[in-house]
Amino acid sequence: MALVRLSQIHFNFQTAAQPLFEDLNLTIAPGECHLIHGYTGCGKSTLLKLLLGILERPWEGEREIADGATLGVVMQDPNVQLLRQTLGAEVAFALENLGVASHEMLLQVRSALRRVGLYISLDTPISSLSLGQRYRLMIAAQLVLEPDLLLLDEPWAQLDDQGVQELAAVLTQLRQQGVALLIVEHHQGVFKDLVTHRWQLSQGQLQALSAQEVDTSPEQVCWRESPCWPQGSAVIDSHGFTLAFRERQKLFDAESLLLFPGEIAALVGDNGCGKSTLLKSLAGIQAGIDPLGIKVFGQRPKLGRFGADLALLHQRPSRQLFENTVIEEMQFSLKRYGLPLDRAIALLGQLGLTTLARHSPHTLSYGQQHLIALASLACLRPKLLLLDDPFAGLDAHFTDKIVALLMELSRQGTALVIASHRPIAALPVDRLWRVADGRLETLSASPQAYSRVG
Amino acid sequence: MMNNKGFNLHDALFIGFCATLLVALKGMLRLKLGLSGHSMFLMSFFYLICYGAVGKRGAISLCGLLAGMMAMTLGVGKGGPFLLVKFGLPAIAMDICLLLLPSLLALKWRCIILALVGTLAWASKGLIEGLLAGMSTQVVALQFAKSLLFGSFFALLAAMLVPPVLERLRSHDLIDREEI
Amino acid sequence: MWARRGVRAPGVRRAKRHFAVNDTRWCALAILLALGLSSCAFLLPLSWLHYLGLANLLLLIQGRYLGGRLRGLLVIFTSQLAITSLLYLLLHGLERLPEGIIAVCRILMAMIPGWWLSVACSPQRIGEVLSFCLPHKWAFVLTACFGILPYLGQETREIYQMQVMRGANIRLKSLWRPKHWRELIYCVLYPLLIQLLKLSKQMATAARLRQFGRHPKPTHWPY
Repeated sequence: MALVRLSQIHFNFQTAAQPLFEDLNLTIAPGECHLIHGYTGCGKSTLLKLLLGILERPWEGEREIADGATLGVVMQDPNVQLLRQTLGAEVAFALENLGVASHEMLLQVRSALRRVGLYISLDTPISSLSLGQRYRLMIAAQLVLEPDLLLLDEPWAQLDDQGVQELAAVLTQLRQQGVALLIVEHHQGVFKDLVTHRWQLSQGQLQALSAQEVDTSPEQVCWRESPCWPQGSAVIDSHGFTLAFRERQKLFDAESLLLFPGEIAALVGDNGCGKSTLLKSLAGIQAGIDPLGIKVFGQRPKLGRFGADLALLHQRPSRQLFENTVIEEMQFSLKRYGLPLDRAIALLGQLGLTTLARHSPHTLSYGQQHLIALASLACLRPKLLLLDDPFAGLDAHFTDKIVALLMELSRQGTALVIASHRPIAALPVDRLWRVADGRLETLSASPQAYSRVG
Repeated sequence: MMNNKGFNLHDALFIGFCATLLVALKGMLRLKLGLSGHSMFLMSFFYLICYGAVGKRGAISLCGLLAGMMAMTLGVGKGGPFLLVKFGLPAIAMDICLLLLPSLLALKWRCIILALVGTLAWASKGLIEGLLAGMSTQVVALQFAKSLLFGSFFALLAAMLVPPVLERLRSHDLIDREEI
Repeated sequence: MWARRGVRAPGVRRAKRHFAVNDTRWCALAILLALGLSSCAFLLPLSWLHYLGLANLLLLIQGRYLGGRLRGLLVIFTSQLAITSLLYLLLHGLERLPEGIIAVCRILMAMIPGWWLSVACSPQRIGEVLSFCLPHKWAFVLTACFGILPYLGQETREIYQMQVMRGANIRLKSLWRPKHWRELIYCVLYPLLIQLLKLSKQMATAARLRQFGRHPKPTHWPY
């Protein structure tokens, strides 16, 4: 007996030339786990909306749901789905809305939290939870509705390895209890012990993938083969520091930090270990910490001090887009810093995005917006470029484009620091700065790289 | 034409978030800019954005009242329960004015008129306060004139900026109201 | 039902807070008291003003004890006093100056209860009282607004920093010139509005998927 059946679904975005779904079929039965892969922007999230019945634009086909079956969902960013401030209140939200008597709530809330392995006080503020815990909290908030099918949108991209392991354990248990699961995820090597059906969403249809076709190789550090030997004076130089917020527990200790022009450093560590804080400190924009004694271009970093020489790509960089067209967006900083405007046109050509020059940046896909935001910084040719999780949620196609752009910048002499919670296999690096157990460990491809002499 | 159906949750949250941003920015800029009337810039800007983005009657008043409640709760402005009047009065005046304004009028002029009406209501609060506190009519009138002058300057500045922002939001498919 | 994430009323230090209002009913009374005292500042005859002054003095002392800062009140009071006295001197001469000073004192006394309220009552409790007065949907909106305050602050800061690093003329010293305000609106407020539009849509969807608005009489989490 099927829980959910989609048959011959056709769907088209108004502006798109090709239909997103064309004759798409899917059947899910209790206890099954379906994993759907697909490139960025292929319609994975749209498929979830369609299943949930919240797709705003019209579509054709049939969507059947078994009588009385309930669907639960955890969307891409759990933070925007958290509606309350404490753990208990968050889980009870759905019960409140169903008019469940107050005295009956406690039992159901506790049971849901137990099922996801969260054994912490009900008054715990959500702000104090890790991202992995928040993710499981969101699942608990769905479990009080006793869902028959749970939909998860790209959990791997945002969770670190520990978070993914904890989630996989919870999902295995849920599946044993008869809950069906549907996970959309562009990374293929994840949840492999859990999956019963694996699909590739491409050209508007779901095509079955066999286990042999799946790339399950773990992400590993890739060292640059012909390392860039230290040239010139250090861009980042520190003899050791402790990163800590005032009056709070420290994030990590570091002994020495060095980066020379043209070098690429990967800053790797779990969620919440202090990667973003370090990047912001290097840019001089992190509030609430004491000066670290790190020198950038031989000076203490401060907002605006280095002009076009230092650029920082924040997480979700599409937030910085505001101009009417892509080309205006890219030329914004060039105009402000008095640099040649034709750099933007040249870079668009190099990225193969010339056709988008006159488009509004807000009508582009997630991957394209990401790329434009990065390109608008790259065309400044900064001497130091800091990137906070620049590959989040991107498929191999966009990852390759970004890697090519970063390698080109490195060849031109830009020093790069790239933060992520896993090593990026596609990006060759000269230095690895790994944060674990309260320490920042520095590794490099060549012993010479530690030298302070240029 | 203006849609008068109730506010859905999306509209209600957007109105609430605009009010939050208004209060948060006011709290941040309060000490940095000691200019009289600068609060009319933020108030006009967010109220008019609510009007344009939500496109329903009453959106401005709700934004004003929510901003008043937020400010009162967070202690921004030190007015206690009177903050509801401070934020709510200009908003309600703008909504009442909307009932009378012809909808065929260009958006730019509608924004300007609404901003001026809002400033009038904002300055009137000071006028009533002064009179109730027992100040002489001339002094109150002078202070009222000063508030009106500075407030109008800032409100007009905001009103001029709102239509292009709304136009941009619409052209980028971020809002789909026919109203603007 | 109501607890905020890391937001503090400006000027309030988290010391040990004896006599702070932590109960919702007391908080409702405190709001009424503040409203009453503020209204009295305008409505009471001159002969009763001393008593009101005394009550306000007590509020000031308690507020100060609870960690409230008086600087803001002092700045408003002195600037109001200076402007009003100047106008009285110019328009009416020295003999009517006391009238102006009393009026400014009345305005100050209308403000003190509001200041005290924000110091003595935790924002959670005030929010709770306000939520009781609102329909369910708007009470939820108000709660969500408080919930996103830290996120909004961080988002504002990050977008501002991003644009400053991209070369926008929006540093504080540039903002003294209104011609740069346009850049601030387009670089910072406009992307923020886009974020707010998206966030309100996502949160509304999340709430609807968790049955928001399904039951005519929703219940409340009692802890």
